[in-house]
Amino acid sequence: MPSSMRDIKKRINATAKTSQITKAMHMVSAAKLKKAERAIKSFRPLTKRLSNVLSRVLSSDHDLSHPILEAREINKTVYVIISSDRGLAGPYNNSVFKKAEKYINEHHQSNDEFEVAALGFKAFSFAKRRGYRLIHDEVIQVRDDVQFIDFQQISDTFIKGYLSGKFDEIIVFYNHFINTLQHEVKQTTLIPLEHNPLLDYDSNDGSTYTPIYYYEPNAHKVLQDLLPMYVVNLFYGMILEAKATEHASRMTAMKSATDNAEELISDLQLKYNRARQDAITTELTDIIGGAEALD
Amino acid sequence: MRIIVINPEGELYNETVDYVVVSSKSLGEFAILDNHAPLISSIDVGYIKLVKDQEIIFTVVINGALEHRENVINVIAQEAHVGLDKDNAMKHLEDVRKERLEENRQRTRDFLKAERELKKNLKEAQASNR
Repeated sequence: MPSSMRDIKKRINATAKTSQITKAMHMVSAAKLKKAERAIKSFRPLTKRLSNVLSRVLSSDHDLSHPILEAREINKTVYVIISSDRGLAGPYNNSVFKKAEKYINEHHQSNDEFEVAALGFKAFSFAKRRGYRLIHDEVIQVRDDVQFIDFQQISDTFIKGYLSGKFDEIIVFYNHFINTLQHEVKQTTLIPLEHNPLLDYDSNDGSTYTPIYYYEPNAHKVLQDLLPMYVVNLFYGMILEAKATEHASRMTAMKSATDNAEELISDLQLKYNRARQDAITTELTDIIGGAEALD
Repeated sequence: MRIIVINPEGELYNETVDYVVVSSKSLGEFAILDNHAPLISSIDVGYIKLVKDQEIIFTVVINGALEHRENVINVIAQEAHVGLDKDNAMKHLEDVRKERLEENRQRTRDFLKAERELKKNLKEAQASNR
């Protein structure tokens, strides 16, 4: 059976090539995951310090208020879906989409009642497919080397839109990074910040007294500047988490693809050997039969 | 006094200085010297002049907060850059931002183009299969 033998050999070669690619992708993702984890780590102090400062401002005067801190009647909601630009990341994108879609279907009858901000090509095409109204008309990329400035424009749109009353609530769906193997799809209200635990003032920061701060020019103006900054920071933190999850889930997906390919190759190898042995046996019987006929 | 500048990438600057001058577009300028009272302020677009002996260093900041307490100044900046000259540093920061945005736009265009081509090729491949 030389023809089937050739077929099997071809398949072995093809599978081996694919597994080489998936293996390379696995290693690339592992390296990128490390980078993404580092980015999360170096970003954390900023959020922490900013929330410390903010909580100090808020605790200094309890009459201070800001629209971002107060929930109001909800007429229009913006849903933010954070996904990746490329696929091959296992269930990474789909799990976010599923959760977002379920939530939207439960809360809205028609597509006019809400708007969507899609981060990443995958979310963009998902929103287009479902006929959701988008808050932005250009694709927003989530690059592997995410930078703050990439999302400046969209976060400005959020804050300006909220402050001007264009929409009353912003909910983010994203993958929360727990560790390499564990992540969960999270749904967080970005604005208003009403129940944000980070804003609960922690007076127990090691010092014996709470200093009385001066504000330049005044507490209200400082709050007005810092709150949007805080929201944007929170949002950026979510994107960093999602990015780390993307790499982790691509890594796992590629690892299992490589394992499967190896299994397939060993199966095919066995079949190939059997076919070859069959061919040899047939040839041998032919030769022996021929030799016997001569005698 | 000590000044610590942090941005999203981590700690940018951590040094001892004699005094600092904070300048921002909306607030104007003010200086913080040793033993200043605790202070919180914000910077929309501006710079912080750091003076130590005869040396002067500028940190340009876009969207930042500043907290001074017990001779430690914490600067939290969304974007910051350290330079010897405030105009150059600001220009550098703006150039970097512009470049990045332009690059993003280019990538979007390329990606969409590649996607369209892929779709077209797939269609053609399927047509020849039939």
